[in-house]
Amino acid sequence: MSSWLDYTINGLIVGNVYALVAVGLALIFGVSRLINFAQGSIYLVGAYIGWVAVVQLHTPLPLTIIFVAVVAALVGLIIERFGLRPLQNSVRIAPLLATIGISFVLDQLVMLTFSPNPRALPSQLPDVRFQVGGGTIGPLDLLIAGVGLSSALLLFVFLRYTKLGWAVRAASQDRDAAMQMGVDVNRVNQTVFGIAAALGGVSGLLVGMYYNQIDTAMSLQATLKGVVAEVVGGAGNVPGAVIGSLLLGLVESYGVAVFGTSYRNLFAFLLLVVVLVLRPNGLFASARQAPPEPLTGTFIAPSRPVRIPRWALAAAVAAFAILPLLPVSFYVLQTLINAWLLGMLALSLTLVAGTIGQVSLGHAALLAIGAYTSALLSLTLYVPVGLAIIAGGLMSAALGTILISPSFRLRGHYVSIATLAIGEIVSLVILNWESVTRGPIGISGIPPLSLFGFDLISPTSVYWFSFAVMVVLALLQARLLGSHLGRSFRAIRDDDIAARAYGLSLNRYKSLAFIFGGFAAGVSGGIAAHLYSYINHETFNTQQSILALTVVILGGLGNVVGAIVGAVALVGLPEIFRVAAEYRILIYGIVLLLLVRFRPQGLLGTI
Amino acid sequence: MSNINRRTLVKGSLAAAFAGTSLSRAAFADADPILLGVSGPLTGPNAQYGTQWKQGFDLALDEITAAGGINGRKLAYTFEDSQSDPRQSVAIAQKFVSDPKIVLELGDFSSPASMAASPIYQRGGLVQFGFTNSHPDFTKGGDFMWSTSVSQADEQPLLAAYAVKKLGLKKLAVLHLNTDWGRTSRDYFNNAAKEYGAEIVVTEGYIAEERDFRSTLVRVRDANPDGLVLISYYSDGALIARQARQVGLKQVICAASSVYSPKFLELGGDAVEDVHVGTRYFPEDPRPEVQKFIAGFKKKYNGLEPDAFNAYAYDAMNMAAAVVKIGGTDRKAIRDAFTKVKDVPSIIFGTATFDVATRRVKGAMNAELVVRKGQFALWDGKPT
Repeated sequence: MSSWLDYTINGLIVGNVYALVAVGLALIFGVSRLINFAQGSIYLVGAYIGWVAVVQLHTPLPLTIIFVAVVAALVGLIIERFGLRPLQNSVRIAPLLATIGISFVLDQLVMLTFSPNPRALPSQLPDVRFQVGGGTIGPLDLLIAGVGLSSALLLFVFLRYTKLGWAVRAASQDRDAAMQMGVDVNRVNQTVFGIAAALGGVSGLLVGMYYNQIDTAMSLQATLKGVVAEVVGGAGNVPGAVIGSLLLGLVESYGVAVFGTSYRNLFAFLLLVVVLVLRPNGLFASARQAPPEPLTGTFIAPSRPVRIPRWALAAAVAAFAILPLLPVSFYVLQTLINAWLLGMLALSLTLVAGTIGQVSLGHAALLAIGAYTSALLSLTLYVPVGLAIIAGGLMSAALGTILISPSFRLRGHYVSIATLAIGEIVSLVILNWESVTRGPIGISGIPPLSLFGFDLISPTSVYWFSFAVMVVLALLQARLLGSHLGRSFRAIRDDDIAARAYGLSLNRYKSLAFIFGGFAAGVSGGIAAHLYSYINHETFNTQQSILALTVVILGGLGNVVGAIVGAVALVGLPEIFRVAAEYRILIYGIVLLLLVRFRPQGLLGTI
Repeated sequence: MSNINRRTLVKGSLAAAFAGTSLSRAAFADADPILLGVSGPLTGPNAQYGTQWKQGFDLALDEITAAGGINGRKLAYTFEDSQSDPRQSVAIAQKFVSDPKIVLELGDFSSPASMAASPIYQRGGLVQFGFTNSHPDFTKGGDFMWSTSVSQADEQPLLAAYAVKKLGLKKLAVLHLNTDWGRTSRDYFNNAAKEYGAEIVVTEGYIAEERDFRSTLVRVRDANPDGLVLISYYSDGALIARQARQVGLKQVICAASSVYSPKFLELGGDAVEDVHVGTRYFPEDPRPEVQKFIAGFKKKYNGLEPDAFNAYAYDAMNMAAAVVKIGGTDRKAIRDAFTKVKDVPSIIFGTATFDVATRRVKGAMNAELVVRKGQFALWDGKPT
């Protein structure tokens, strides 16, 4: 029995830690309806600024906290002013991509300045421990709880009782109306970003001290857990974010208690999916709150897609088809093979996210399902590779659609968060379901690609194969979009209420989109498995999902040719910047930001 | 902007890619060194290990150059950042394979990235020398895959002997990274420990991003072990040790050699005092190659102590030099040289000779250390 007390206390302690990030995310979401993917990076910056203050400047703790808060707030203001404000009149999906780009840039800057080696960040509090249950808690636990709760309380009071707070709430409810009433929306945004960033920075500092360890990989994890906690509590709801965080901590701790450590994150993400399915606006969203606005639909500014004449497309296909006959190196071919594989994934995502408006952040799961299916079929049942890949596509279509179906009733950002969680769940199931997937050991010795008994081994033949598959999928998808079905998809994206009134069954069409999209992604994963010969649970990770979404937004949502152009660009750019060695991801992030800034509707425009 | 189409974009990128390769070639043209390719993480979540590789490589190269290079030519490497991402490591593999200047490849770091590239190296006939690849199937990729990574079948029984036979622990709790390395290690450790008469009362696998272990440690406490075994890297190992002491676990802690790093002491602080570590070398090791390595490393990096990953990289570069000395610059001859090279001085193995059947090196050195007063010291035989 005493163990349960310990698990409860431990859950609350780690929930405390999540709350610090979640509150900042909730504040920004409340005002700008934006999931700030850069919040984890500000947390990272805060941790390293804190290290400079503690280790180099030897500041006392109160001064350290103030110093970190001020510097982090400045970073937040710079992000708001130069990263997001220029985008406020462009499509609403652009800021999301911008925060991803900003997080690349910030993480890389920290890594280049401080080296990726982890550092110790010594706590400046006296090392006394209080016995609670079977374990102990220290002064830092109390400080973290204090900062989390008091900042949530202060924010609550600020939003409810101060004039600027009213302005923040007015801007969050209806930005245009607030502007008409004379609210300086820019100032509101600045305030919110400043406060959220200061909080993010201080939380990085405190969490770093708590673990006596900071490293540059901590930002993505912080963002992920913060987003889960925030959405569980009700996106944009500051006290809800605190309760959501504590709940998340508890569920994880009990999950460890019952099933063991390797199931921990599985419970975190299952909690999220369950909450979203039962209460789509989070546990603590008030009934009066306006429904979450769709991320796409009215928010995708109807842009005029770039019309590429048929002959030009045909010529481009022909040019790429004869490319291996020209004297190009295998390295270039291999890079393009990667681009075609990513292109298939992007085709799938651009259909799901762009055409029907279900912005998925867990698309790598579809790759993984296809890859594992194809690898296992060909290895254990000796199914010919060509058939196994098709089976992988079908499995991905079926399983993917079933897994995603709970999120069909969700709208806007909530779809993205639910799919993010489903993606993580798939990866964790692969890790833990050892009898089938071989767990962390992974599957090795996967046979190479082959077709009708001929092995496709040389880069040239793999190139032709993957290019042909992608072109066929692209043609099918273009044909689909030109049909009645494509028009129905777009109708659902642009106004689901009108579409329903018109008699369209939303779930049926969403399923159809995921079935087709799942097939394309599964085929891509299957080909990758046979190409790599070894896969494990890390091969298809969250970064791939984020990359796929970046490709799709960059190419233009729903745009078939755009998805492929985006894939070539995002595979090609990091390779081109190889000469820049450690700086290449930084440059990549900056290029991404510039593209979002000057071409927010994507290179080829939304269709 | 609006008239960008696929062709112009790709043409541009291709042109830039060609420009990039020609540029790097020109830079090396005058010195004309023997070039090795390294595929590893310099950015991304594993970036720290790539940085440590570089430190080990550079020190070894300094010594090789000072000793006159390889048959009068300099040895050099070109490091391509893969982020430990299989998509990028396969592209790098094609790049190295198609570049005739590269005579041998080193890396990658993680198994998914390394083993995805193996078929390309195998078909391209370029040796993939994976010196941190402990995955049991890595060298099964083909006769161009060679590894000096300490086989966990070798290392874990040594750790188990330390914990069970020397320290007299009978009920063990095993915490391991839930990766291919951690899982393989855990299985070898558990088997050996059981053979020596200990009982494994609980095993817990955790993912690499995990930072909070308090609930895991409650499970450990409830299983009532008399010792904790950490199959961890130094950063997560330090976290577990700290939190174990915070939740009041006072049991003996033993850790695998991968925690052997000054960072483990820095990150763990007081909590890692008395932690037992089975390692392959230690600072007071009288072997001349170890003394040379440690002194050289401290001199080159301002007093920094080398750690296990530095040592792996240093050894790997020395092994590469020995192989190239025999095999010359022909890729196939280099592959054959791996079968001929004998007794190369090594920090990890004392002297390293490949077992031609497994393409791995057997017989890692063993040192039993304990943390005393914030320093790694040779264990004096006293229980803690």
